[in-house]
Amino acid sequence: MAEHTVASFDEDLRQISRLINDMGDLAGSMVGGATRALLETDNALAQRVVSDDAIMDARQRELDDRAITLIAKRQPMADDLRHVVGSIRMAGDLERIGDLAKNIAKRVGSVGVSAAPRDLTHSIDSMAQMVLIQVQAVIQEYTAGDATALAKLRNDDERIDVKYTSVFRELLTYMMEDPRNITACTHLLFCAKNLERIGDHVTNIAENAYYVLTGTQLPANRPKQDETAMAAPAA
Amino acid sequence: MKPMLSTDLNAPDATVEKAKIEVKNLNFYYGQSKALKDINLSLPERSVTAFIGPSGCGKSTLLRVLNRIYELYPKQSAEGQVLLDGKNILDRSQDLNLLRTKIGMVFQKPTPFPMSIYENIAFGVRLYEKISKAEMDSRVEQALKRAALWSEVKDKLNASGLSLSGGQQQRLCIARTVAVKPEVILLDEPASALDPLSTAKIEELIDELQADYTIVIVTHNMQQAARVSRQTAFMYLGELVEFDRTEKIFTSPREKRTQDYITGRFG
Repeated sequence: MAEHTVASFDEDLRQISRLINDMGDLAGSMVGGATRALLETDNALAQRVVSDDAIMDARQRELDDRAITLIAKRQPMADDLRHVVGSIRMAGDLERIGDLAKNIAKRVGSVGVSAAPRDLTHSIDSMAQMVLIQVQAVIQEYTAGDATALAKLRNDDERIDVKYTSVFRELLTYMMEDPRNITACTHLLFCAKNLERIGDHVTNIAENAYYVLTGTQLPANRPKQDETAMAAPAA
Repeated sequence: MKPMLSTDLNAPDATVEKAKIEVKNLNFYYGQSKALKDINLSLPERSVTAFIGPSGCGKSTLLRVLNRIYELYPKQSAEGQVLLDGKNILDRSQDLNLLRTKIGMVFQKPTPFPMSIYENIAFGVRLYEKISKAEMDSRVEQALKRAALWSEVKDKLNASGLSLSGGQQQRLCIARTVAVKPEVILLDEPASALDPLSTAKIEELIDELQADYTIVIVTHNMQQAARVSRQTAFMYLGELVEFDRTEKIFTSPREKRTQDYITGRFG
């Protein structure tokens, strides 16, 4: 893309891109850290994820300030306008991903004391890996300007939803097998739900990024595969 | 009910409404130099169309073709068709005076006549119509009200038009245009010499006038084009590069040249 006649406009836009990249990196490291802390009962790592959330919040506030100032000063149009507005929205989703990772990290203590056996967390581990790959990929594809990859990435969330449904059923089974698992499994269930929600935020980011890059919206009818409502036992 | 423009931003065509003006295969020359190259576009009735583009792109030239005002100057010629309600106004048989009652024009610099506010409006009306004093009073009042100037000048209609502020003078010019009951109003940079408050009043006025008139505005101020118009034409080097709904042009234009211009990446 050609440079603007006003060079400082380019610099303002670059700073917003840099913040989105920083927030994307931080989101990846928080999700990765939170799940590792959970699986390895690493309280120190969990604590670091919790404190990273404050950094994430500060980055989002900075991005909001810069974006609002840019709109007021430059009145961006077309792709510039989409870039700025899209960044505000993507930053909102990244900040929520940070919150959800923090939420997982905060459960590490509770799951740890109930001494969850390794096999309880095995499927959470593979679900977390799927989510982490999505979180890391979405900002990379956006930065690379690859709209096709973003469309695919958005559809890949379906696999996370399917995985979540299976984790849900699995944890339910463990609880029925041995009531002593209930505390740990309930916490793990919340963690799984948080991971599933992170996947949804990645989907939102992919949709926004696609719009920023192409100026067109992806079709609204992405298939939803979270079937836990059906899997839940009747009240 | 008036048909609406499609709300689908990706729909290719700007207009589904009845065309008031259709420009077909229009070329324009200043002497040997070609200033407009094969322009085709259709301006919907009772709506605002903006022409944007860098200096020298032909947007003012195109506006000047629409009421044949270019004929006041030597060595300027147009070929092709400009259809007003289906009738070619470039045709030799077209009565120019009649054409200019149908298509009014307001210029960048306010151009009130050196006469009273009242006479500024009555002068043009008298050229075309014989009406009584009472009718003329009413016509002047209506025109000034239409141009949102009445409340500011109603107690000094005999004061000189030149005594008004720049913004008021421009609204007086719009009132003068409206008074002869045109069908189309051409605005050539109508607010570029005005302060922000006067500009806002002109924009508000344009918004009201589009209920009754087909309006074409040339402006260098892209935010203004985005605010006031329903469709926008981007011109460059005498060509019509892109013509579409204004939201589409300013959020996701199809052409790279449009994108580069409106985002400030030109040259």
